[in-house]
Amino acid sequence: MDLLKIENVTKSFANHVALDDVSLSIPEGSIYGLLGPNGAGKTTLLRIINRIIAPDSGRVLFGGKEIAAEDVCHIGYMPEERGLYKKMKVGEQAIFFARLKGMSRKEATEKLKAWFQKFGIEDWWNKDIGELSKGMAQKVQFITTVLHEPKLLIFDEPFSGFDPINANLLKEEILALRDKGATIIFSTHNMSSVEEVCDHITLIDKAKNILSGNVNEIRHKHGSNIFEISYRGEEEALVKAMTEVCEVMESKPAPKGYNTMKVHIASDAEVRRVIAAANDSVEIRSFSEVIPSMNDIFIRAVNGNL
Amino acid sequence: MKNKIGIIIGREFNERVRKKSFIITTLLTPLLMLGLMAAPMLFAEYSSSEGKKIAVVDESNAIAQYLQSSDEIIFEQTELPIELARQAHSEDFAILHIGKEIMTNPADVRLYTNSAASITLEMNIESQLKMVIESMKLQQQEIENLPAILASVQTDVKLQSFSNQGSSEESNAKANSSIVATVIAYVLSFILYMFILLYGVMVMQSVIEEKNSRVLEVMVSSVRPMEMMMGKILGVASVALLQISIWLLLIFGVGYFVLPELIPNEIAMAVSMMQQGASPEALGAEANMSLIQALATLTDVGYLLKITASLIMFMVGGFLLYAALFAAVGSAVDTPQDAQQLQTPITIPIILSLFVMLSVINDPTSEIAFWFSMIPLTSPIVMMARIPYDIPAWEILLSLGLLIGTFIIIAWAAGKIYRVGILIHGSKPSFKELWKWMRYK
Repeated sequence: MDLLKIENVTKSFANHVALDDVSLSIPEGSIYGLLGPNGAGKTTLLRIINRIIAPDSGRVLFGGKEIAAEDVCHIGYMPEERGLYKKMKVGEQAIFFARLKGMSRKEATEKLKAWFQKFGIEDWWNKDIGELSKGMAQKVQFITTVLHEPKLLIFDEPFSGFDPINANLLKEEILALRDKGATIIFSTHNMSSVEEVCDHITLIDKAKNILSGNVNEIRHKHGSNIFEISYRGEEEALVKAMTEVCEVMESKPAPKGYNTMKVHIASDAEVRRVIAAANDSVEIRSFSEVIPSMNDIFIRAVNGNL
Repeated sequence: MKNKIGIIIGREFNERVRKKSFIITTLLTPLLMLGLMAAPMLFAEYSSSEGKKIAVVDESNAIAQYLQSSDEIIFEQTELPIELARQAHSEDFAILHIGKEIMTNPADVRLYTNSAASITLEMNIESQLKMVIESMKLQQQEIENLPAILASVQTDVKLQSFSNQGSSEESNAKANSSIVATVIAYVLSFILYMFILLYGVMVMQSVIEEKNSRVLEVMVSSVRPMEMMMGKILGVASVALLQISIWLLLIFGVGYFVLPELIPNEIAMAVSMMQQGASPEALGAEANMSLIQALATLTDVGYLLKITASLIMFMVGGFLLYAALFAAVGSAVDTPQDAQQLQTPITIPIILSLFVMLSVINDPTSEIAFWFSMIPLTSPIVMMARIPYDIPAWEILLSLGLLIGTFIIIAWAAGKIYRVGILIHGSKPSFKELWKWMRYK
């Protein structure tokens, strides 16, 4: 069952179109990656889901019904730009945000104490946010986002600004929330973080949904006929030879050891021709098929080569 | 949804009221005002502890004996000729030299001061000389029974003004003192000016701060922008109300306990007789009517209640209107510097109303006074300058109604700008763009 469904949403601002007829559906209990380069329209879509702005046309269904004001209590949103009141005590501030999401003061206090204990930050309760470091403040922000146990959690660039240890802690917590039944949307341009955790993705570029689906399916569907060549010889010569017979995806010269290059070959029949061409220009050390990373797919999709 | 506005109002109120700066300004400002009022009196007390000695050389031999010494000025006649007197009395404050021709030539008098003379001192000497010379000239007319005639001619007019509203019966006519009304009008409209400007700018700055710290982006997912804006405005308004209430309580408290101690009994009696509608004759012609009227006005509970209630209503109305405008400006910019240009059209009517207020105080029923106290942007301050002068109730109510109606329209428009502004960073919008934002879906 789909918890959230976006149907033909279009939104334009004074000078540009931010979303052009975007549709997607997010299954309940999944971790959903919303990918795309900067300025593609991800944040606009998240704001529409949060009812911060209204779409020009199209609709958003939450749990099968058109999303309404009451539904924001079931959504937790951590925007890319984190913000807390600098001159307010951590505890009071967290209670304030919880109450805005419809929790009572008592309930919020109890749950907050539990979370603070879990993160080992009980003694921050009476500190001003201004006294905390950026990473510490982000932990508080995370807690305020998930405290009201929303059905839908939306994280915009969640790992930016976290050190690797805390980023990992955060990832664990997010997976734990998913296991408890929450549906999670990740918005990011950082592909490696997506591959590990996301079940489904949508790729948005220039206001359009250009690729949607299950991560494994996408990788296999678009992962055929990608080969990695490692070789000794001149990079330029190989690039020149390869562009004639196939598509060069990535070329990494290595000062020590072998240079490598990734290519996409249009059809199985071409493989032998490509190998022959490569063999003519450089000394091949290995030639093997690879399953592409999401990053490869992302770049090929954005460049219009899928 | 109302509940969410309540939570935001609560946060704004608590955070501001708990600040040390709020507690300090609330308690210190009245002390500072008292100090400012008391200072001139204290200075006067200390500076005039010793009377100024003035040696008088009177060549006309007719005037010196009539000069009257007071606490401030002590006249001492000397027989020395002027040149010697100027040397002999160099320790005194001054030497007054009255020439022989003083009776025919009023300019034949000189004052030699050993230090700077004050205007009040010179005026005192001039008026004393004038009186002495005038009465001597009258005597030269050789009128019979002159002192008796003069005594019977002397009159001290005591104008009493009454409001012509309400019952025409003399006993119900309320005394009202225009001096008191002027002072109250001046003070109240000035307080209103300060509150609207200071607290309005406070709203703007706090919106800019929250926008910069990105708190607004976090909040906007749980609260509608309109509610955020109204919560902030009402929160700051409640802080302003608390502050003005504390001040009013202090003023009334001090007035209630201290005034009776300061007023002599017979005046207090006269005041209460007057409030009960006694005719001026009954109070006796000796009474200082303007003082009694002033006190009667100041201790008239109905009058004070009306003024206090109007102050609070116009303060809240005016503040809400301007705060909505300031909030919209704050939401549109990134720094207070960028706000300068956009906030100018908001501050101009505030300053304009202060100037209009100064003319309204002289003529509270003029056309200008009426219209500026109806136009919503200037009405709070200008109306507050008119209310102490007993203007018709319908004017007050109409003005208040217009103010509230305008606030609703402005708040709606400001909310539209706010909604767009808080999410846009890095641009300094023009008025044209603000207009566009208002029309976004």
